[in-house]
Amino acid sequence: MAEVKLGMKTQVPASVESQKPRSKKAPDFPIVEKQNWLIHLHYIRKDYEACKAVIKEQLQETQGLCEYAIYVQALIFRLEGNIQESLELFQTCAVLSPQCADNLKQVARSLFLLGKHKAATEVYNEAAKLNQKDWEICHNLGVCYTYLKQFNKAQDQLHSALQLNKHDLTYIMLGKIHLLQGDLDKAIEIYKKAVEFSPENTELLTTLGLLYLQLGVYQKAFEHLGNALTYDPANYKAILAAGSMMQTHGDFDVALTKYRVVACAIPESPPLWNNIGMCFFGKKKYVAAISCLKRANYLAPFDWKILYNLGLVHLTMQQYASAFHFLSAAINFQPKMGELYMLLAVALTNLEDIENARRAYVEAVRLDKCNPLVNLNYAVLLYNQGEKKSALAQYQEMEKKVNFLKDNSPLEFDSEMVEMAQKLGAALQVGEALVWTKPVKDPKTKHRTNSGSKSATLQQPLGSIQALGQAMSSAAAYRKILSGAVGAQLPKPPSLPLEPEPEPTVEASPTEASEQKKEK
Amino acid sequence: MGSEMEPLLRAWSYFRRRKFQLCADLCTQMLEKSPYDQEPAPDLPVSQAAWILKARALTEMVYIDEIDVDQEGIAEMILDENAIAQVPRPGTSLKLPGTNQTGGPTQAVRPITQAGRPITGFLRPSTQSGRPGTMEQAIRTPRTAYTARPITSSSGRFVRLGTASMLTSPDGPFINLSRLNLTKYSQKPKLAKALFEYILHHENDVKMALDLASLSTEYSQYKDWWWKVQIGKCYYRLGMYREAEKQFKSALKQQEMVDTFLYLAKVYIILDQPVTALNLFKQGLDKFPGEVTLLCGIARIYEEMNNSSSAAEYYKEVLKQDNTHVEAIACIGSNHFYSDQPEVALRFYRRLLQMGVYNCQLFNNLGLCCFYAQQYDMTLTSFERALSLAENEEEAADVWYNLGHIAVGIGDTNLAHQCFRLALVHNNHHAEAYNNLAVLEMRKGHVEQARALLQTASSLAPHMYEPHFNFATVSDKIGDLQRSYVAAQKSEVAFPEHVDTQHLIKQLKQHFAML
Repeated sequence: MAEVKLGMKTQVPASVESQKPRSKKAPDFPIVEKQNWLIHLHYIRKDYEACKAVIKEQLQETQGLCEYAIYVQALIFRLEGNIQESLELFQTCAVLSPQCADNLKQVARSLFLLGKHKAATEVYNEAAKLNQKDWEICHNLGVCYTYLKQFNKAQDQLHSALQLNKHDLTYIMLGKIHLLQGDLDKAIEIYKKAVEFSPENTELLTTLGLLYLQLGVYQKAFEHLGNALTYDPANYKAILAAGSMMQTHGDFDVALTKYRVVACAIPESPPLWNNIGMCFFGKKKYVAAISCLKRANYLAPFDWKILYNLGLVHLTMQQYASAFHFLSAAINFQPKMGELYMLLAVALTNLEDIENARRAYVEAVRLDKCNPLVNLNYAVLLYNQGEKKSALAQYQEMEKKVNFLKDNSPLEFDSEMVEMAQKLGAALQVGEALVWTKPVKDPKTKHRTNSGSKSATLQQPLGSIQALGQAMSSAAAYRKILSGAVGAQLPKPPSLPLEPEPEPTVEASPTEASEQKKEK
Repeated sequence: MGSEMEPLLRAWSYFRRRKFQLCADLCTQMLEKSPYDQEPAPDLPVSQAAWILKARALTEMVYIDEIDVDQEGIAEMILDENAIAQVPRPGTSLKLPGTNQTGGPTQAVRPITQAGRPITGFLRPSTQSGRPGTMEQAIRTPRTAYTARPITSSSGRFVRLGTASMLTSPDGPFINLSRLNLTKYSQKPKLAKALFEYILHHENDVKMALDLASLSTEYSQYKDWWWKVQIGKCYYRLGMYREAEKQFKSALKQQEMVDTFLYLAKVYIILDQPVTALNLFKQGLDKFPGEVTLLCGIARIYEEMNNSSSAAEYYKEVLKQDNTHVEAIACIGSNHFYSDQPEVALRFYRRLLQMGVYNCQLFNNLGLCCFYAQQYDMTLTSFERALSLAENEEEAADVWYNLGHIAVGIGDTNLAHQCFRLALVHNNHHAEAYNNLAVLEMRKGHVEQARALLQTASSLAPHMYEPHFNFATVSDKIGDLQRSYVAAQKSEVAFPEHVDTQHLIKQLKQHFAML
């Protein structure tokens, strides 16, 4: 039994060979296994042509009864990508040796590779009856149940596989299941155990770092991503994630240095160009930022984050028509994000379309529940339109959100935003003061009231201009932080290769001008 | 009688104004008065002049300048024995365009045609052809700008042109070739040259033309470069390229002419020696500095070798010499568009518009440049104009396809869907539209429809990596790893540097290698 277990860890042909001679050493059939050693030798040397020749010869001599030759031929077919032929040969092996679990495992594996997961689970269950302590069967059953969307069964099988033998693949599969179910905490637990078991696996480290990044635990995320980059300095996903964290902290030059490595290896990566663009934005090189973001948008036209960033940069450059275009496109792809509507409203305000700007703000306030900047900008717009009561209501709503954020997170607010809020508060209170002093009827007090009224009137136009400018300015400034956050969210798009790649190329028709005939 | 104009003078006037039929008719009248109507009388100069003029007029009716018309048929390509190196080194052949990607954007940014070359700004017959590996691929690739059918052989085209001569003379052919005494004419250089051009272009009898030219050059003791060029042209027409090369080289030693350089370069291109052709052009530029046709020849060869940056440089040189060169403007504009500079490309296309180029392709390109340069007011107007100017279904399909990209750019997926559908209505073989429709279906979650569309796109355009990669990704997602692997391998063949494809193949091989 120990010998059988030891055989399980070696290569499949070796394990098969170690079993077959023992069970078939009866002197009645020596001819059947005469060339097995040569087939095995060619196979492990990857000399597939010679291996096929020997297999053909052997099968002719034995009239197709040499199970090992058929088995190896099936393995070679699989390596060449001919899964269907491989499946047929493995089924022949299963007919020749009905009690051998390896043949059933290979049949199930072929069915799995062909995408027939239900049939694969049935065959794996048959194989499990023959060999109950095989971690591979449990693991592969878990994978098949994952494809069939039966996540509970999949988890049970994968946990059984882990109890029998621990492997990275099983941990990765379990983590994927939890992610598919949206259970981030359990996924992190699984990946933690996986990292303890296999500390040098860069894929596990990167995935764990990305998960911590999504939860906002930056310290641990940075640790794990740093470890991943220590073992694999050119890891594409880890570099993007680490770079986005550096962007969040304002280290744009360091992030750009890191991105240079990826730019040489993968020049057509939309998340890369998006992050590079936001680095330039952070360094206030807006034209370079626009170039990089446009390239990212060219390569990934369906990504709303890139369009969001393009709109933000164009707002900063005061190109409001272009900003409106990009933000409108982003809203088409992501219609449930309040910040997009807020930025759209800022663009519309500067395009002097107040009615549509108001509608956009209403939508932004309806969708967004935690961003005080939305209410602040809306209040500024209302104040500039002379609607003090509505502005005051929005201001109070903003104060609620600010207090909520102060209680829940140590996030520090942008100084421009604070200043803008204070100015707006002062302007609104002056209005209140005016209302408060009206009932007094004393002649001496009347004079003071007049004086106060003049002061308020003087403040209003000045505040109006400053308020308008600073509303846009504070929106842009606050976007610096949020743009870092957007950069931080970009580690999700590194999964972009898994999505079907849209046609990135724009086929401009060639300009077909008739050639003039040359005269000699 | 004194008030009438001299008939010969009137015939010359018709000839110079390119009214060749009137010129030929008038010469016929003059020759009818001569007792020798089948050959000019030796003692009558007016008769000889009329005879020569008629021959030249008939030739000009069907004349084709062969410098730029170079359409290889399937027979010439498949049975090509002229290329010397069967496995040429990279950068020295036009056969392997895929491995010579230097200086330009990759396939992910600039799409390629069936022949494996990046899309160019100017459509020429020779740029459509590559060296297809299989007969199916050769038949699938259209060869000319005006038809979707391949040319079976280039010699067939010349045979058809000769049928026009039967209609010009109701009294029979002007010259009865079978009864012609070539030796006698070869000793009269003025008559011989006109007769040669008549035989070669009007009668399409290459062999007889070659005989006349050989006798004439022999009579002139091999000192007339013109006859050597004509012999070279005959050899080229007959497919004897090495002999043609000798004749052109000998002519160049005696007298360097731009046309001779161009003809010799054509021979080298047929022999698949682009580097030699480039050296020849540069040698010609030493003699004729700033010659536009030579500069343009260099730019074309660099473009066919996929060296976009060098081609763009030489096109700029062309524009310095001749700033109304349509081909150079279009190629440079297209280069700028695919190098993330739509604003600069827009200026080039606007220049073409000012020059009077007014066709569907130009407005299509203007619309794309306006959109990507964020000049939104002109975009839809340009596309409307392009649609109204489309001359056939393929052009309309291309315009709708590009409109689909505009719709994707503004986030209107419904409009994009309709545009791609309309592209398929106009051209049911538009592989790019199939691919993009599949992507839109995937975004809606319609996996089976997306797979069917991707399979159609893959079969229609094996040279595009996008349908193969998308199909591989979708198959991998639903677990069909065999089809995913096969499709990923095709994607790798089409675009070897695609990192996502390499990653996917590695992943699939791990699946196959482990139990």
